[in-house]
Amino acid sequence: MAKYYDIDDIITEEEIVSVIFQKEASGVGIDPSSETDYIEAGSKLRQAVSVNVPPCFNQNTRLEIQADSACVDLRSRCPFFYEFGCKVAPLVGDRTIGFLLLSAFKNRYKEVLTKAHTAAFTAASKFWSILTKEEINMYEAAQSSMASFKKWRMGGPRLQKASVLGRKRKSTE
Amino acid sequence: MYGRKACQLVKEFAGGEKGQLTPFNSDLFEQVVAECSQHHLELQSLIRKIQEEGLDVQTTRNADHHGALIHHLALVRNKRCLMAYVYNRAEVMQSLLWKIGQVLPQEIEEKLCHSEIEYFKKHSAALRSYMSKVQLDLTVDMVPPKDPYIQVRVLDDIGDGIVLKQFISRAYRLILFYMKNMAWPLILLKTLHLVILDILYKS
Repeated sequence: MAKYYDIDDIITEEEIVSVIFQKEASGVGIDPSSETDYIEAGSKLRQAVSVNVPPCFNQNTRLEIQADSACVDLRSRCPFFYEFGCKVAPLVGDRTIGFLLLSAFKNRYKEVLTKAHTAAFTAASKFWSILTKEEINMYEAAQSSMASFKKWRMGGPRLQKASVLGRKRKSTE
Repeated sequence: MYGRKACQLVKEFAGGEKGQLTPFNSDLFEQVVAECSQHHLELQSLIRKIQEEGLDVQTTRNADHHGALIHHLALVRNKRCLMAYVYNRAEVMQSLLWKIGQVLPQEIEEKLCHSEIEYFKKHSAALRSYMSKVQLDLTVDMVPPKDPYIQVRVLDDIGDGIVLKQFISRAYRLILFYMKNMAWPLILLKTLHLVILDILYKS
């Protein structure tokens, strides 16, 4: 319920999955044989439809992630890869999705963090385009933490002479 | 596809810059509401059909039940999208109230729908009454200022005895130091814009 108003959560659930109707449903305005539905419906219709594994978790993606997860363009596959994976995994009953998400995240996490702390802005913008929304949030958090750290270290003079004092001294000189 | 339009609405909001409002899309909003009532009608007719067949609505699991379920879920989904759209816009408006003060600039007000303007007015009235109770202007100086005084320039003839009082009455284009929390409302009122903060103006 906490996420009821969450825009990102709604958009995550808008991801289309293909389903197969196991039971008949009447009065629905779409051809049930080629029905597409969003997951939230799927989660409750579990007895009525079976959900196919979405294309973003197919064999190709898995192989790419195994090869070099940091360079896979996950965003074009699904902008909320992890959240969507978590939501869809219990529906499709595929236990390997969990491991896939975990290994992908573990490897990419390191990469995102290093790049966020070191890369210059121009170099980063190219790297940005392959990150999922969740990773971008993380990236921005890392960058802002770095920025505030630098600000703290370089920082303005924390003990400032009161301007009044300075003026006084000048006038006496 | 069911629920598509409602999500368009949400995506439109998400597409905008963070903390900024997009114009209220009343057209799409109405369409989603219409879609909801359509779902409602179909849901009712399916339920009626089950009842006419003499079956128990609670326990039957036939085609009609599943059809009704789909309509129900689509309805719930649409509702959630609409609620999220309105709720998130309201949150942005609240943060605007703290950032830019009690009076909305024209260009922002154009983006709001009628009830949103009403909401903003009521919210700012509530905040105002609270601030008068504690006798403190809470919206000023969200970040502690270095100096309570700021340099301002009078841009327009402000006439006699408004907020700045006799001090600078009729003082056109005069540069002076002024208490920040006093000058702030005048700076924010761009339409009546009387005074400008030089430092802010440059940045």
